[in-house]
Amino acid sequence: MRSKIDKILLIILLIAFSVSIYLIFQWVPQIKASNPAEQIAQRIFYFHVPSAWLGFLAFFVVFCASIAYLATRDRKYELISVASAEIGVLFISLVLITGPIWAKPVWGIWWTWDVRLTSSLILWLIYVAFLMLRRYLPDGSKRANLSAVVGIIGFIDVPIVYYSIRWWETQHPKAVMASSEGSLAAPMFFAFMFSLATFTLLYVYLIRKRYQLLTLEDTLNKQFKEMEIL
Amino acid sequence: MMRTAISILQKDLRMEFRSKESILAMWIFSLLIFVIFNFTFEVSRLVMLEIAPGLLWVAFVFSGMFGLNQSFALEKENGNLRAMALMPVDGGEIYVGKFFSVTLIMLMFEALIFPIFIIFYDLQLSLGMFRLIPVLLAGTIGFTSLGTILSAVAVHTRNQQILLSLLLWPLVSPIIIWSVTLTGMILSGEVTEAFYPLLLRVGAFDVIFFTLSYMLFDFILED
Repeated sequence: MRSKIDKILLIILLIAFSVSIYLIFQWVPQIKASNPAEQIAQRIFYFHVPSAWLGFLAFFVVFCASIAYLATRDRKYELISVASAEIGVLFISLVLITGPIWAKPVWGIWWTWDVRLTSSLILWLIYVAFLMLRRYLPDGSKRANLSAVVGIIGFIDVPIVYYSIRWWETQHPKAVMASSEGSLAAPMFFAFMFSLATFTLLYVYLIRKRYQLLTLEDTLNKQFKEMEIL
Repeated sequence: MMRTAISILQKDLRMEFRSKESILAMWIFSLLIFVIFNFTFEVSRLVMLEIAPGLLWVAFVFSGMFGLNQSFALEKENGNLRAMALMPVDGGEIYVGKFFSVTLIMLMFEALIFPIFIIFYDLQLSLGMFRLIPVLLAGTIGFTSLGTILSAVAVHTRNQQILLSLLLWPLVSPIIIWSVTLTGMILSGEVTEAFYPLLLRVGAFDVIFFTLSYMLFDFILED
């Protein structure tokens, strides 16, 4: 199953990640902040935001694959949706971890019920529930159908959750002052885009690998079943 | 056209009126929530007024899980779920029937627990409280429209009850957030001009959730 594309992808990824780490930690100029901790913490942004993007991308793929599954009943799409949901949960977990690491020195607190934080947490909960549902169901077309339905409802719900929390938040006084967000300076923008592209490539690589693994498991299970029949 | 939906609704309501299982369980459970809340948070009356709307919806949502769980668990018991799936009707119709039975049962429970809530937390009754009716209606419909389909999903698993909560609560959080806000406006007597647009918004999302579930329900029944 080791295809040539995967090998090339892996090599590109290794180079791209080395470059983006250099860009992020060496090349990008220090931001102007009175607090030295904030200057260092700011660099987490180059990992935090691409992780969030990747999470959304992954859940969008879950949504598309779920629709494709219900339309075609092709097991391929079921496996893609699972692979993508797993990667999405992983990267949203990274978002939820890197966020507080940044927030502590800058805001002075680990967590606040701000719209982005709360909706990321709810997003994470939705897809963890999606994966748990699959764990509790026996393999088969029933599981595929049920998880596809949840995959569709879950994704449609995401903007509604965001919208509702934003609304709710404006009703409450802000707990913390968000740092003033100006436009990004050119080198920062470049490093950010580079990191974003690297992460997107990582997603492509991960989903390919996970999908291959799931297909292998499938084949193995089938062969076991055949042996049992004999 | 909706004959199947109506039969399911009639059957569920008849069962409920005979056994009173769901409503009673929900009512007692809500009572327990109020009691436990009283012990765990000793708050002044002023603070109480601020958190009362949240408490009311916590009671509704937690107790509502009983009704939702029950709704499909009962069908599964005697293989009725399978029979439903075999019926030569659109899955959407079964959804509609189930949705209405769950919603009506929950609304009845809400009507029965609300007076207790008023008494326990010493809230002032006023004419403005009538505005609670559309709020409870909209919030409950949002909760049950998603809850009905997810209950049908969760019933196929071993850990039905916990899984339904895990699936439903994050998804239904927007409806709950808005319902609590609206209820808060009414209970505090400060109904601003934001009230009706917000109520309309809850209604709009009810329609979205209902339509979505209606369309997808067919896939849940088939094997």
